[in-house]
Amino acid sequence: MNDLFIQVVVSGLLIGGVYALLSIGLTMIFGVVRIINFAHGEIMMLAMYLTYWLHAAYGVDPYLSLFAVAPVLFLLGIVIQRLVIQPILDAPALMKVFATVGLYIALQNLALMLFKADFRTIQTPYASASLMFGGISVSLPRLYAFLFAIALIVGLWAFLKFTLVGTALRALAENRTVAQLMGIRVARLYRIAFGVGAAITGIAGTLLLPFSYVFPTIGSIYTLVAFVIVVLGGMGNMLGAFFGGLFIGLVESFSGTYVSPAIKEATYFAIFILVLVVRPQGLFGMGKGSEEVGLK
Amino acid sequence: MSLLRVGDLGKDFGGLAAVSGVSFEIGQGEILGLIGPNGAGKTTVFNLISGLLPPTRGSVIFGGADITRLPTFRRSRLGIGRTFQIVRPFEGMTVLENVMAPILARERHPGLARTEALRVLERVGLADEADADPQSMTLARRKRLEVARALATRPRLLLLDEVLAGLNPVEVQDALPLIRSIREGGVTIFIIEHIMAALMSLSDRVLVMDQGVLIATGTPAEVTANPRVLEAYLGEEATGA
Amino acid sequence: MTGKQMVLSAALLAGLMAVPLVITQAYLLHLLILILFYTALTAAWNILTFGGKVSFGHAAFFGLGAYTSTILLLKADVNPWIGLIAAIGVALVGAATMTLPLLRLRGPMFTMATIAYAEVLRRVAILWRELTAGSEGLTIPFRPGLLYLSFTGKVAYYYIFLAIAATAVCLSSWLFHSATGFHLRAAASDEEAAQALGIDTNRVQVVALMWSAGITGALGVFYTQYVYMIDPDLVFSVTLFAIQPALNGIIGGLGTVWGPVLGAVVMTPLGEFLRSYLGGVRQGLNFFIYGVTLIVVVIVLPGGIISALHAIRRRVRGATASVPAKEGA
Repeated sequence: MNDLFIQVVVSGLLIGGVYALLSIGLTMIFGVVRIINFAHGEIMMLAMYLTYWLHAAYGVDPYLSLFAVAPVLFLLGIVIQRLVIQPILDAPALMKVFATVGLYIALQNLALMLFKADFRTIQTPYASASLMFGGISVSLPRLYAFLFAIALIVGLWAFLKFTLVGTALRALAENRTVAQLMGIRVARLYRIAFGVGAAITGIAGTLLLPFSYVFPTIGSIYTLVAFVIVVLGGMGNMLGAFFGGLFIGLVESFSGTYVSPAIKEATYFAIFILVLVVRPQGLFGMGKGSEEVGLK
Repeated sequence: MSLLRVGDLGKDFGGLAAVSGVSFEIGQGEILGLIGPNGAGKTTVFNLISGLLPPTRGSVIFGGADITRLPTFRRSRLGIGRTFQIVRPFEGMTVLENVMAPILARERHPGLARTEALRVLERVGLADEADADPQSMTLARRKRLEVARALATRPRLLLLDEVLAGLNPVEVQDALPLIRSIREGGVTIFIIEHIMAALMSLSDRVLVMDQGVLIATGTPAEVTANPRVLEAYLGEEATGA
Repeated sequence: MTGKQMVLSAALLAGLMAVPLVITQAYLLHLLILILFYTALTAAWNILTFGGKVSFGHAAFFGLGAYTSTILLLKADVNPWIGLIAAIGVALVGAATMTLPLLRLRGPMFTMATIAYAEVLRRVAILWRELTAGSEGLTIPFRPGLLYLSFTGKVAYYYIFLAIAATAVCLSSWLFHSATGFHLRAAASDEEAAQALGIDTNRVQVVALMWSAGITGALGVFYTQYVYMIDPDLVFSVTLFAIQPALNGIIGGLGTVWGPVLGAVVMTPLGEFLRSYLGGVRQGLNFFIYGVTLIVVVIVLPGGIISALHAIRRRVRGATASVPAKEGA
């Protein structure tokens, strides 16, 4: 019984790492561009399809395809920012909601058009391989996903802390007006923020695919998960998103194992509503921009 | 009898005491001015009285009743009206509709509310622009709308937050008779202003704040001669009209 | 409403009542019924936008209404008219649980929370098999007649949905022009300023939610009586009963009375057309166009069709100082 418990914890943490990556992407976009992207999960979905296609058509190993997925998604993020987000930046919040909802509908159905509704996954030679630590079995793809995710999160942290662009992004997230006054080119940074956010999110998708399915509507589930995590961790708070991701991974693992797989999603939606009502500033307190989005 | 009694009022934001130990009274029918350098906490005091901010310490007694914990809209219904420093007309509603909104809080019938709203607009001189879009009006007219809306709530105490700010000298002179007529109509006025000459000519008494505390009270003459007051303003440019 | 508007509306209503005398094809009547249904649904959804709130969770109320009356019918032989009252009650209870998020959250976060609501209910409906038969869904029996609200042929349904649509639009208009409507618009524009003027912004938002939820729940009942079969993925569908009315609303013009009507009238046949012609070409193409349309509308014409009409009218009449009823932002 003890072994099962540890197993559940381990599984939860492993998936939590990927979730953390997913929600850090959302947090980053929100923190800098101040927009809540209802199409966030669709970005991940597109990356998953890209990974699938590279594997199915050219036999590219998913972890190699990261080198393709990341730049492509980065560019996609920039395109979305320029076409959809930039024109509505000064619109009332309600309109921004509608714009990204429109994006979500469009992207979801684009996938439907291109790939049909079938569930797809990829089979890699190591897909069912696992390592044994004591009595605990750790699935290899999940382990890889976790390690890549952690590495990426650390890399992102370093990027934000030590590079010029990263510092500019942090400044922009802190205070748009002052940043502008200091000569930071806001529009360009918004594009970069969106691009980086999209790339991270896409990578999360790629890491997920070896042990998960992709289908056109998977995006909305992951959008909701990302939102739950971001609210839980505190809007705009990257560290919070990280721990929030791990937490939700654990919740999913526990409720899936000890109660029933069917109520997994219901569980975190319920948590979402609970947090919003009881503690809207999240477990770790609010980051920047929470007032604009209504979390007081 | 004092209409408003504020006792040891304090408001902290994080570690910063924006307002601290403020106590004063406003008598029925008087015009009380509030001045002080920027950041003195004047608007915070207004927010504490009107209910937009809960106090960290202290009490607010209005008409004998303790309103310290009452929500904003209830204080308005008890008779505290207020204008904002940066005017906030309702978008998507005409001037008339803007004034009808507060009236409808006590007069449910839109037809009657409309009639009363027109009366208020006449009082402030905006009757001709009843169907105008507030966004298309000059600042001076929008400030009048702001006052009209507050008047529509039939206040006993009216808080005017820099209602003359941004007006040119002619507009300022035009506004003074309106403010006086409001007091003559029986409304007590508490007014924050940076335009010294206007404020001094309007007020019966003046309170002076600096860095969250009250540093002087008295008649306009007393306060302008007070060395502590002058000291607080050293380096500040007090605009005279 | 002005006298002229009343006459026009009465004429419109009379015209609509005469339609089944002229149009007898079942498919066309079905389309008209769908338009009327979505007009009512959009008008109900739109009430919440008076106060500046956008909900994508109205599917929750719809599903609650649909399941309440159906379960009562199947398990306790309660006729749908009584079921309707119960359904509205349940929808209102559901709305009551949404009150706290409604009041505390703004903009996108509120919208997200509403989606979560609908999704939780959908899953509960799937899992609570004893009550709802889970994903298999429930089928109501065919018992022709007014008492059990089922009919052969479409004409009776047409009149029923016409009555519902007219009622919903009238309620929406009445609310808009009432004191509550003014207060909602004020709260949507500037909540603090409204409060400083004595408006109880929390109360009016709750009132709006109750009306919006109640009418939507009622629509769930009538919808079920028309389609005979419901399941959780259908009646709790965020796409069909939450996003669709939102789409109609924004294209028609948010926060106005006739905007949702216009939106529903334009979008419903368009949607059907897209679905039958383009859906066949490529699955998903129709909704893809929806999505792109929504983005374009938000960028180019955020006020919807109504604002375009107002702009044209202003241009034609020459610039006067009057302001059209703009949507609450």
